[in-house]
Amino acid sequence: MKIVEKSSKKQDIEFKPNIVCFCCNWCSYAGADLAGVSRFQYPASIRIIRVMCSGRVEPAFILKSFKDNIDGVLVTGCHIGDCHYISGNEFTKDRFERLTKILKFLGLEDRFRLEWISASEGKKFAELITTFTNQIKKLGPLNNI
Amino acid sequence: MSKSKKSSQKSQTDDLVGAVLVIGGGIAGIQASLDLTEMGFKVFLVEKTPSIGGRMAQLDKTFPTNDCSLCILAPKMVEVFRNPNIELMTYSEVIEVSGHVGHFYIKILKKPRYVDEDKCTGCGDCASKCPKIEAPNIFDMNLGKRKSIYIPFPQAVPPVYLIDSDMCLFLNKGVCKVCERICEAQAINFEQKPEEVQIEVGAIIVAIGFDMLASKLPDNWGYKYENVITSLEYERILCASGPFEGHVLRLSDEKEPQKIAFIQCAGSRDFHIGIPYCSSVCCMYIAKEAIITKEHSNSSECYIFRHDLRAYGKNFYEYTQRAQDEYGVKYFNSKISKIVEDPETKDLIIHYEDLNDGKFNDLRANLVILATPLVPSEGSEKVAKILGINIDKYKFFKEKTLYDKLSSEREGIFLCGFCQGPLDIPETVADASGVANKVSTLLYPVRNTLLKEKIVSVPEKKINLEDEPCIGVLICHCGINIGKYVDVPQVVEYIKTLPNVTVTVDNLYSCSSDSQTSIKELIAEYDLNRFIVASCTPRTHEKLFQETCEEAGLNKYLFEMVNIRDQCSWVHMEQKVDGTKKAKDLIEMAVAKSRLLKPQKESKLPITPEALIIGGGISGLIATLNIAKQGFTTHLVEKESQLGGNLNNLYQIFPGYQKASEFLEPFVNKVKSHSNINIYLNSNITEIRGYIGNYDVIITTKGNKVNNIKVGAIIVATGANELIPETIYNYKKEKNVITQLELEQKLRKENLEWLDNIKSITFILCVNSRQKEGITYCSNICCTNALKNINILKKLKPDLALILIYRDLQMSKKGNEEFYRDSRKNALFLRYSLDKLPIISKTKNGKFNYKITLFEHNLKGDIEFYSDLIILATPMIAPENFKELSKMLKVPQDQSGFFLEAHVKLRPIDFATDGVFLCGCAHWPKNIQESIAQANGAAGRAIRILGAKEMKTSGLVAEVIEDYCIGCGKCADVCPYNAIELIEVEKTFEDYTLRLKKSKVNSALCKGCGTCGVQCPNSAIIIKHFSFKQINAMIEAYLKN
Ligand code: FES
Repeated sequence: MKIVEKSSKKQDIEFKPNIVCFCCNWCSYAGADLAGVSRFQYPASIRIIRVMCSGRVEPAFILKSFKDNIDGVLVTGCHIGDCHYISGNEFTKDRFERLTKILKFLGLEDRFRLEWISASEGKKFAELITTFTNQIKKLGPLNNI
Repeated sequence: MSKSKKSSQKSQTDDLVGAVLVIGGGIAGIQASLDLTEMGFKVFLVEKTPSIGGRMAQLDKTFPTNDCSLCILAPKMVEVFRNPNIELMTYSEVIEVSGHVGHFYIKILKKPRYVDEDKCTGCGDCASKCPKIEAPNIFDMNLGKRKSIYIPFPQAVPPVYLIDSDMCLFLNKGVCKVCERICEAQAINFEQKPEEVQIEVGAIIVAIGFDMLASKLPDNWGYKYENVITSLEYERILCASGPFEGHVLRLSDEKEPQKIAFIQCAGSRDFHIGIPYCSSVCCMYIAKEAIITKEHSNSSECYIFRHDLRAYGKNFYEYTQRAQDEYGVKYFNSKISKIVEDPETKDLIIHYEDLNDGKFNDLRANLVILATPLVPSEGSEKVAKILGINIDKYKFFKEKTLYDKLSSEREGIFLCGFCQGPLDIPETVADASGVANKVSTLLYPVRNTLLKEKIVSVPEKKINLEDEPCIGVLICHCGINIGKYVDVPQVVEYIKTLPNVTVTVDNLYSCSSDSQTSIKELIAEYDLNRFIVASCTPRTHEKLFQETCEEAGLNKYLFEMVNIRDQCSWVHMEQKVDGTKKAKDLIEMAVAKSRLLKPQKESKLPITPEALIIGGGISGLIATLNIAKQGFTTHLVEKESQLGGNLNNLYQIFPGYQKASEFLEPFVNKVKSHSNINIYLNSNITEIRGYIGNYDVIITTKGNKVNNIKVGAIIVATGANELIPETIYNYKKEKNVITQLELEQKLRKENLEWLDNIKSITFILCVNSRQKEGITYCSNICCTNALKNINILKKLKPDLALILIYRDLQMSKKGNEEFYRDSRKNALFLRYSLDKLPIISKTKNGKFNYKITLFEHNLKGDIEFYSDLIILATPMIAPENFKELSKMLKVPQDQSGFFLEAHVKLRPIDFATDGVFLCGCAHWPKNIQESIAQANGAAGRAIRILGAKEMKTSGLVAEVIEDYCIGCGKCADVCPYNAIELIEVEKTFEDYTLRLKKSKVNSALCKGCGTCGVQCPNSAIIIKHFSFKQINAMIEAYLKN
């Protein structure tokens, strides 16, 4: 019993998730910048891909990421109503609600998350990355499935 | 005599300076500056504090959309910072003004920052090492502390630190200098002295904003207690980057308060010891703060103590209703007598009178937020003196006339924003565009004379897409900001090994000007066709590097930036190994994208320098005149047979000293006689095609005369109508139950005999408005209109009995509260509530026509009185024909049917569709003063386009691959800017020809958001610079090695 615990703990330390995070230029990317300016620390597990609006993120990018063995994907944008392009994130919401259904079918839904982050929510950004990374750590590497 | 006058005028034109001084860097000054540069003027923007942004930057969210305030403001601040034609002088003050309209001489004092603005990179190393944390943080309303070397807030513009000379150990005690030792950029300069700068400008705009009165409040408001704070302090507490990181805590014990009380009108509308006017914005921001509080913690209880509820803007009243219905915020119609502290718990006991039943009650709250009066900024009297302009009795800057609030009494000096009188953000933004228009009307002969045009001497390199990519990579240490936490040399070694990377170098500061030179040298030496900089954030620095690339002959879309500071080294300060790996990955992903980058063209579109104004009311007339005056042909279309709109139906204009016809006449005459103006009466728009700069419009005049015109910009100024109440209060049957407009028409009659038989008149306000169903909003102007008419009637017939029945009195803005107090003597004011409407019954053969029965709250019973004439104040509504126009222009209407602006806060007079603007009551019910200011603004927004001759389109747009397009139109459905059109094309297949539908993107309208590309079922749309292939390549590159 004890041994099992130890080994799983060891695995926790060794497994460093690889996560892709899509950010829109106007809010969530700015929120990520603010996390930096405020020096809020979070795990070095994400690679941010900047797009102009969360409405640019194709569901195919998420599937592609999983195909390429990326352990988790985050899509972030402005809060509903704040989108710099008026209504872009409303389409994002629709699209990813639909994608989640497919991901559920594939057993991948816990590896994906859609979040709204404003330019003043640096703290929230850092916390999101921390909790999501922990979540993925618990799930283990994707190729294990 | 006349000759000499003429010659002096001419020499004055020669003497005009094409530059403008803007004093104050809040949203008013920012918007005015941006508009002015687009109109062709150089701007000197002088701000007293170390950063621009003003009050708006301090707000957490904005009503009624709950937009994050800084999110929408910061891009504008950065735009100012980067604009080559705005000279930004922060931490500076104007100390002397001489000269005259068209040519002023200005002396400006620049206070020492002790930090060299050109050298400081904003890294913050100095502040982290500065030993002194004692200075109150002014930006956080003194709630937190900061170092003596500091930046006001993280997004400050310019992003430059400064030393607080009162706090700095070295400046006061001669010891320390830690910052000087730590600063790798060598930006600290203790030798800096105050500096005087002299400039010359043609006009001056004053936009110095407001302060929130707090410590000077009378004792009964309890501000001296720890847990009584002002609403601006509360904004900082709510803000995620505020003193408690967005946790709602009270100051005494930093615990979450359970019961929170908001007190409106704390110290304002008080003619004895407080501030006599209404600050106009408090009702709304208090509702907002209560809603956000509930969002933070649903279990908290929010109580709002209100007097009148003044929710007069678009969606405002509905917002206050939502606060109650959806969020459970409780409103008390009350008068506060005193707030005292319970010394043990530090809770507050609020003693108040409930105005619904006249009883005195107590309420205990854990935290109290006061909506204290907003007053002219400290030092505005001094500014007035320096500028030689007047202030009014409330200490706001005095406007030229009630109807020209954007001008001061001194020619060439203009007023904008809260420093002239209470305003909310959208009104301020509209005024800022209006004031820019005023300046432009004055200085248009010298437009474009002082603008810096960027000249690129190196011709653009031709890139063949078959050419092998040759990528240059520059990796920045940012002093120690990146270098300390990321192993930069290791990253360099790794990136060098990647295919297509021709050269990789690192340096200390990529943003310095000598770095720009070396980037250009690298591009030339290695004949690079792509370039990457890995440093800080593209949000502030991408444009700089793009320009450098352009100067080296590289198309700016061949540049890519990687953020390894804000999003890597700064957030992984304890994870050097992982951080270094992340930096490598990020750059490798950028290299993958870079290989696929293509040069993009920014095409130029010609602009037809003519404007179309739809609607000939006061807004339309003002807009038309302003545009015509600046030399552009203007077409004015009016559906009626005469110009003037609603003013033709009014007797006297507010406040009741001048006949509406007399007020209107000079404007109509000027429009009629101006050679640049074409008037189309009895006409309608029947077709609009085209896009910004190039609209084809068909105007049809009665009798089917058709005119085709071509214009570059369109202003919608179609006005609004008064609601005809039909069934309410038996309006249809009773000839003595009339609307306010009908009363005005009666008053317009030469013969006032009708008044002889009338002994008593009752006005009923809020008829069919501010209710749950039907018209839900407050129509803004009815209250002041009713009071105006009461005063007029009293003058005409002093023994007339006048009664006014109201729910809340909308007397916001400067002067209206006083106007109301003065009018009180002329009528009996009685309050009613929505659940107990007054009842009107006909009297039979009595002395009077009608009996009115009303429930009186204080008496708790019905009272009865009699009147001969009943005036119903019904709301302004959007006319039916808006629908047609909205379809033709492809612009939306809001839920009440008025036209919907592009953004309720920051683009109040623009439509989302470029080149179409909005003003007057077509946007929302407003009075003459507001309509005129807004019309000026709309004219200004249009002038930016008309004056530009040609327009540059962005390269970041969508493009349809025609062969893949199946013409389903899904892309057009999701485009928020109407940039996609379905067109028919002919396709020939061997021997037969088909007509097929295809989508076409108008790059003049496309903003490059990319939503259409995702929607396309057939991958027929390429989003340039963020293409499917490019993003896919980035994902692929991540785990490749
Ligand atoms: S711009 Fe942020 S989601 Fe659209």
